[in-house]
Amino acid sequence: MVVAVRRNVAGLVVVFVGAAIVQLAISNTYLRYVKPGMRWMLLAAGVILILLAVADVLADTRRKPAQQHDDGQHDDGQHDHEPHTGDDDGHGHHGLPRAAWLLLIPVFALLVVDPPALGADAAQRQSPVAAKPVAPKNQSWLADSAQSDKPVPLAVRDYAIWAVWEKDSMKGRNFQLTGFVTPGKNGSWYVSRIGLTCCVADGTAFMVEARGDQPAPAKNQWVTVTGEWAEPTKRQDGDVAAITITEVRQVTPPTNQYE
Amino acid sequence: MSTPADSAEATESAAKTAESDPPQPPPADLPEKEEKEPAGSSIAFTVTLIVLVVLALFGRRIFTSLFTGDGIRTWATMFVGVTVQALPFLVLGVLLSAALTAFVPASFFAKALPKHPALAVPVASASGVILPGCECASVPVSAALMSRGVTPAAAIAFLLAAPAINPVVLASTAVAFPGQPKVVVARAVTSLAVSMILGWLWLLTGKGGSWFKLPKNRHAEGTRKADVFRESMLHDFLHAGGFLVIGAAAAATLNVVVPREWLDHVASNLLLSVVVLGLLAVLLAICSEADAFVAASLTQFSLTARLAFMVVGPVVDVKLIALQAGTFGPKFAVRFAPATFVIALLSSLVVGWWLL
Repeated sequence: MVVAVRRNVAGLVVVFVGAAIVQLAISNTYLRYVKPGMRWMLLAAGVILILLAVADVLADTRRKPAQQHDDGQHDDGQHDHEPHTGDDDGHGHHGLPRAAWLLLIPVFALLVVDPPALGADAAQRQSPVAAKPVAPKNQSWLADSAQSDKPVPLAVRDYAIWAVWEKDSMKGRNFQLTGFVTPGKNGSWYVSRIGLTCCVADGTAFMVEARGDQPAPAKNQWVTVTGEWAEPTKRQDGDVAAITITEVRQVTPPTNQYE
Repeated sequence: MSTPADSAEATESAAKTAESDPPQPPPADLPEKEEKEPAGSSIAFTVTLIVLVVLALFGRRIFTSLFTGDGIRTWATMFVGVTVQALPFLVLGVLLSAALTAFVPASFFAKALPKHPALAVPVASASGVILPGCECASVPVSAALMSRGVTPAAAIAFLLAAPAINPVVLASTAVAFPGQPKVVVARAVTSLAVSMILGWLWLLTGKGGSWFKLPKNRHAEGTRKADVFRESMLHDFLHAGGFLVIGAAAAATLNVVVPREWLDHVASNLLLSVVVLGLLAVLLAICSEADAFVAASLTQFSLTARLAFMVVGPVVDVKLIALQAGTFGPKFAVRFAPATFVIALLSSLVVGWWLL
């Protein structure tokens, strides 16, 4: 008995894309590219794509016997690689639209390049100057809380802005920051984090200049630094937050490397 | 580490067993075609499968030395990031457009929209409020509207309005600009105006003539609705998805190549800053649901320039141009994108001067 296996390339491409998205969402790898809130949307999209491909393949198997008597008529559609001619009978999708092959490129990039979260290279492409906050908040909690000498843990994003624009509440206090190392010019280095509002396309670098005797750790090394607020560095295009470091500890990168 | 291909392989092998067809006597009149078709398709299938599995297993080892440059890795992160961010919205869009094609009768749109095209345009613009997605979702939906007999002018108005004035986008704008409700109002007004102006412009300028490719109606009479739904969704996804990838690659390249510092030198000049932020919106290709936060962070610019950023982003950006080229034809995209860009900038200037 001859078994003619009808092979569905479109289904294969869609299954690969769907599986890649599901894998991203399950493995936390998605956090390198988008915000945590996207997880459920990614899972849903991946599952829908896989279901779509499976349904299409199943429908193919079902349809074939019924079509045997009029195959000549439908054949044109099935040969077609140009999706907009001759697919009116609705069976034309087996000729994959040529653009569809491009969908494999991101899957290829994920598998082969394994793109890391944005780090020092992306930060070096941006200016370390702290942008003026939209609505300056008085960090009154900073004044109220922790009159003790214990260093206050802060997000790099907040420190980079407050150290320039909220100087008064920061002066003379100790802080703890966690971020990756971005080398600057003349041996200086920054404790930095990338902030996302949507996805990596709008990743904004927040950088705090590290002062002190400690040698600069390796580029992209994750560190937790403790130190005292320092007067921001004046530059032509604005002020850069700075911290006088008393302790540098090498740490493993957090699951979500963005802020 | 388990790779995407592992799970894909498992699914596919299950699908493959289910795919085996019963014996099939070739019809007498078309012996050649009947032999060629399964063979050609199965070569493509096998090659694709082998290439993907080999890549999944050995890709990283083979190519490690090639992709170590920092710039290349940053580019790859941007490229994958833009694609991953947009894909769920694209899936939502093709799902809705397939549902429109399969389950909503053409007569519904005839009843819902005013008969006269010039009146249908504002109604379509306003109904953009109901599609809570970003711009990737609205391209397939407006293509489906056209194929269901909606006048292209109205479908275009919907295409431009939906990603900019839906509740999710307006809410995120309000959050990004706290205490400044006028920004939300200005954004909604300007986006509505842009979509209506372009809809009417479409009616005035000969309705596309030879350079507009009307999306085909795939709704065949007598086909089961579920089949129509499945097939138009699969086709739209494959087609639009490919063009989304082109757009993401362009956005990633521009993002890596163009230094951000040039922004700071133009902020003081109103006209120049409006044009520059408009261009930035085109090349960053940020989802319309999040662009307000980016606009809010560009504090060195005037509110009018930032309004231009938020108005241009949802209607023209590199990934959107690629999607439109794929759906309506490249000749359409090269005319439509510059026209939209100019009108979006002019409207932002007028509304900014009036409201902000």
